Amino acid sequence: MKPADLTWGLPPAEQLRSYRIWDSYFTPAHGHPGKDGVSATLADMTRAERAIELGQFEKLCHFAHVGIGTTGDAAVEELLRKTPDLVRKPFEAWPDKLIGMIQLNSTEVKASLEAVDRWLGDGPMVGVYFPGGGPGSLACSDPSLEPLVEAVIARKGLIMQHTWNKTGGKQGPGESTPAELAVVAARYPGQVFICAHAGGEWEQGLRAVRDTPNVWIETSGFDATAGFIEMAVREIGEDRILFGSHLPSRSLGTELTKVTAAEISEEAKRKILGGNFRRLLGG
Amino acid sequence: MKRRDLLKGTLAAGSIAALEARGENDFPGILDTNVNLFHWPFRRLPLDETEKLVAKLRSLGITKAFAGSFEGVFHRDLSAANARLAGECARFPELVPVASINPSKSGWHRDLNAAKTAIRLHPAYHGYGLDHPGFADLLSAAAERGLLVQLAVALEDPRTQPDLMRVAEVDLSPLPAVMVKAPKAKVQLLNWKGRGTVTNTLRDLPNLSVDTALADGTDAVATLVKTFGPERVLFGTHAPFLIPEAALVRVHEANLAEGDLLAVIRKSADHWLA
Repeated sequence: MKPADLTWGLPPAEQLRSYRIWDSYFTPAHGHPGKDGVSATLADMTRAERAIELGQFEKLCHFAHVGIGTTGDAAVEELLRKTPDLVRKPFEAWPDKLIGMIQLNSTEVKASLEAVDRWLGDGPMVGVYFPGGGPGSLACSDPSLEPLVEAVIARKGLIMQHTWNKTGGKQGPGESTPAELAVVAARYPGQVFICAHAGGEWEQGLRAVRDTPNVWIETSGFDATAGFIEMAVREIGEDRILFGSHLPSRSLGTELTKVTAAEISEEAKRKILGGNFRRLLGG
Repeated sequence: MKRRDLLKGTLAAGSIAALEARGENDFPGILDTNVNLFHWPFRRLPLDETEKLVAKLRSLGITKAFAGSFEGVFHRDLSAANARLAGECARFPELVPVASINPSKSGWHRDLNAAKTAIRLHPAYHGYGLDHPGFADLLSAAAERGLLVQLAVALEDPRTQPDLMRVAEVDLSPLPAVMVKAPKAKVQLLNWKGRGTVTNTLRDLPNLSVDTALADGTDAVATLVKTFGPERVLFGTHAPFLIPEAALVRVHEANLAEGDLLAVIRKSADHWLA
């Protein structure tokens, strides 16, 4: 054997490119963009470059803080409010690669509504992200979120909801479960709700959303536990699954191989790794 | 484009050219220090039949694997579990059986005496802490027999465990004091995330190594190598519970220098087992 014979667990680069990978969950500096509003995000983008290159990713979706209280840092929130160009800088750095959604503050509905109008109305953002922790999070079942959901629907935006289904129960009041998201989604059957992380504990997460066709799942955020994608394809179908990388806080190895090493068809891999996201974005 | 060109396109810049220039064409393949055989009790896994697992390992260039068993985690008659494991491994030249030992219960000395090469401990699942006197006794006994002691810090994320079987990760804080008293013992942590305040004290234990199975984050393996040195970071997949390709990509993703890369995927493990 020669080291050159090793594949390192990846399909050949040409095959990866043929998948046209669009990452729906890219998380550079996910909790805080840096004291200057952007440097930590840019640094994490650089940190992820090798993985993105190895994975042959075409596009990645980043969840931006836009100054509505999602970081818990009053100074940086004010900076982002006064200097919206800082929010745009990552997109200017990677103009052909980055897609954007804004992180919403569910406890500040008025500010969040204004942010939806501004960033989805004028661009470049294509949707919103409801976090599962931090100062801006509330359980998705909270009725106060309804105006936000309806505003995003009116703007034809995407909705990504962080979910985890933790053994022993929620660790904070802002956490949401797939079961809660399924209840919310049933009230808006024309809107797709993306169940980020499939609940983490995916066996119960998939069972909770499988009968709600407008809930799709996102694949990142937990260990590379074998059998996940196989069950997801079996239970909810290959058309409702979006690949996410969670880079750079998680690894290409952990996240990409959930799909590339799964015992599913090549067509299903193409859909999960990019086709479904493009379809959701109207492409 | 030829397949070889495709493969080269995925490799760390310079690594292959440097390896080939040094004539490393007798590379014996990757050594995986962390697999288990038989069935995980809470769900079926795609590779939980040994034939499928070994075929997968072969396809990835893994030519040797240290195999424990899920029976060694969940069964109480470990002698029988270890015997079944040895019998299964005998069918596949790649597999080295790693007996499970529970030093908190009487009868473990016979299990230890039957073991070869390495043993595996599951303190969390067997219900003892590293301050248990049996653990110190076992380290000394294993050192006398020249056995590598593999200590599984975790098997599953505590957040995803079944409600009726919640198992916390092993508290490693007593380990330095115990290892100081057994200076010849060789210990490898399996499924350790490589984080936390205990890292600094673990780094100072020269006879301690770690595996790569749960070192997550795009630069986590590189950080492990930086912290412990490549001679103390051993490749491990935690297959079939985890997807084996995940650990392999992660090592590749780390963009290690070619010498460090070869150490992690093979040479360091050979050294620890010599």
